[in-house]
Parts: sequence; structure tokens; C-alpha cells
Amino acid sequence: MSRDQGRSLSRSDTVLLVSCLALSITAMLLPSAWALAFASSVRATALAPVVWLQNNAEQWRSSRLELEDIAAARDSAALAAQSLPGLQAENAELRGLLALKSRVSYRTIAAEVLHQTSPTDGRTLLLGVGSSAGVRAGNPVVSPEGLVGLVVSAESGSSVAMTWAHPDFAASVVTEDGSVMGIVAPTPGAVASETLLELRGVPYRDTVPAGKQVLTSGLTGVYPRGIPVGRVAGTRREEMGWERVYRLTPFANPGQVRHVLIYLIRETRLDQ
Amino acid sequence: MSFDKRARRRRLILVIVILIAAHFYVRPWVGTRVAPDLLMLAMMLVAIRSRPGVAAVAGFLVGLTADVLSPARFGAGALACTIVGYLAAYGRAVFFPDNLLVNAGLFAGGIWLRTLIVLLAGGAGPGELAGTLFIWAPVQAVVTALVGVVVVIFFRDWLAIRLDE
Repeated sequence: MSRDQGRSLSRSDTVLLVSCLALSITAMLLPSAWALAFASSVRATALAPVVWLQNNAEQWRSSRLELEDIAAARDSAALAAQSLPGLQAENAELRGLLALKSRVSYRTIAAEVLHQTSPTDGRTLLLGVGSSAGVRAGNPVVSPEGLVGLVVSAESGSSVAMTWAHPDFAASVVTEDGSVMGIVAPTPGAVASETLLELRGVPYRDTVPAGKQVLTSGLTGVYPRGIPVGRVAGTRREEMGWERVYRLTPFANPGQVRHVLIYLIRETRLDQ
Repeated sequence: MSFDKRARRRRLILVIVILIAAHFYVRPWVGTRVAPDLLMLAMMLVAIRSRPGVAAVAGFLVGLTADVLSPARFGAGALACTIVGYLAAYGRAVFFPDNLLVNAGLFAGGIWLRTLIVLLAGGAGPGELAGTLFIWAPVQAVVTALVGVVVVIFFRDWLAIRLDE
């Protein structure tokens, strides 16, 4: 190989490296909506076969390895549901006495979580169902333990959910007795394996004892009321004597969750 | 291109296809956090057999795939894998990849470096950075390196690797 040829080849290596770095940095600087739209279109076309493959593997794994757990959970749920008709009748009677409208019920759809090996997996989750099953951006995602997050983009066979561990996540919440309201958001800069939530915006005059359960409030219209979010673990800080911020231990762990339910909240609203 | 070279390239492509299929079909059975990253392994196997420029492109494509499937910080994976791919190909001239331990070290180092760059580019705080880099990333790196060693031993003829005795 001549010296000139070697030089031109090494120059081509440098050109390729610089081009790839420039494209990567451009991708990082893209507005979030553009990045999600691009990712969604690639998942729906070029990567559709691998998403399909992983979804099949997850379903196969669930049916093989988790059958006993699922059967046990179904039996427990069936037992708990035995008291449901009585409660529903009582609830309807009380609502009638108070002249309240009946509670809005939303259709849900089950989805497999397709975990990735990227270190940022857990902040967003790839789900095995998409717009062909009625999933839309803005639909809440829950696990049996509690709130997981929110769908941010959906294509025909898959969708992506932003979980509560994502720095952009926030939800309006209320304590289980309805006495205190606030906003939950992830604790900034925490160890990923120990990421907690913060309950912010609690007036200084209100105190929330440790152990109190926190649920979604239903305000802002994003999450239905009553989805368990977490349990108060203690006071994190006090802001200048006008606000208390509490530590919240979340119920759902996005890094470990394998199956979720998606509230088809938009579809329900359109039907209504 | 000679027949032998073409056959070798075809075998390498077959190994890469097997690794990609295993990444999406077999890995979900293993677990989540410490499961081997077979996509990165495939990229590094290509990288140590290619010119640095080609390795950078391969890294970019693998990183972009990771970003598309987990878009928490879009572009960070592409940036990280581009650098890892380029360094793996560049490092081939410095280290001798015919040694099994050096191969394992390259795989483990690549995974750890990818995690470091993704976390830094993703704006991770010091707590998350320390927890991931010193607990989870080393475990995933070691698991991936072990799988890589098995792949190298099993496919050494196809990958044209002359392992040191």
C-alpha cells in the first residue's frame, strides 16, 4: 500500500468518525417531539421485525415462566372481586343520595414491557402494543403495584412510555384521605436503583405523616383519580417556611415491571 | 475480493445476525438489568475486524438503534457507540485481539465506556453516575464479556480468530 493511499484511507476514517459524531450531537440537540417522531417512524418500519421478535419472546416467557404467578394473582383478584357487587350497590346508593354522577370507567389494555440494555432503560419503556390496539400518546400506564407513567408516542405495533423516573415526569396527587394535595416528581440526582419521588407544593401548614399513601388526584385530566403512586417516607426539605417537600417511596419499579395496563383514556373520552 | 475473503465475510455476517436475533429473542428470558448486551457485542466483533471509520459507522447505527428503542436521551447512545466502535477498531492496532483475555477486556471495557458516555450525555447526577458505573455497569460488562468469550471460542473458525494457546 503506497503512502498516499494509506493517508487517504485514514482521512476517510476521520471523515466517517466526525460525520457520525456530528449526526449524534445533532440527534441530541433535536427537539423532544422531533426525536420521538423520528424514533417512532423507525420503530414502525426498519425495527418493526425486532420489536415483534422481542414482544413474542416476552409473551412466550410470560406464558412459560409466570403461569403459576399469574394464576395465583388471578385467584386473589377473583376472591377480592367477590365483595365487589355489594360495594358497587352501596356506592351507587350513596351517589344517588348525594346526587352525584356515576364514576367514569376507562377501558384498559394489557401490554408486555420490552426492556432494553441501555442504561437509560427505566426512564422510558418500550411497550408491546401500539396505536392499532387503541393506544395514544397521553394514555396513563399502570402496573399492579401502582402508577408507572404515561405513553409519549405510539406507532402501530409498539409504544413508548415515559416513567416516573424520567426527569420530565410530574403528576398531580392527593393523600388517601383527600386532605393534602401536591405534585410528585422524581428526586433529582438520586442513584438510579434508589430513585425516589418527591411530593412538592404541600403548604407549610399541612403535614403528611410518614406511611401515608398518595394517589393520583384526577386534576389536569391526565391520570384518572385514585391510582396509587407511593407512600410518604419522610420530610425531604422545607422551603423558606412556605412549602414542605416530602420523600415518597414509589409503589411501581419501572426497571423491573414486566406487564402493564394502559388506560385508553383518550379513546374513552372520544366515545363519550 | 477472493472467494476465501467473501466466505469469511459471509460467516461474520451470519454470526452478527445470530447475535442480533439472540439479543431480541433470547435475552428477554435472562432478565433485565445485568443481561448481556449482544448488540454491543456484535458491534465490537465487527469493529475489531474493520477500519476505524467503518467501525464508527457500525457503532453509530447500533447506538441509534438503542436510542430508537429507549429514547430517554435521544442521540446519547449513538454518540457513545460511535466512540466505542472507533476506539475498538483503533485499539486493535495497539492490543492483540487474538488473546482471549484481551478480547474479554475489550468487550467489558466497551460496555463500561458506553454506559459512562450515555450517562454523562444524558445528564445523570453524581449519585446515579456512581451507582450505575460502579455497581450495574461492571456486572453487565463482565456478563457480556463472558458471553463474548463463549461466542469467540464457539465461532473462532468463522471469525478467523487464531487464539493464543
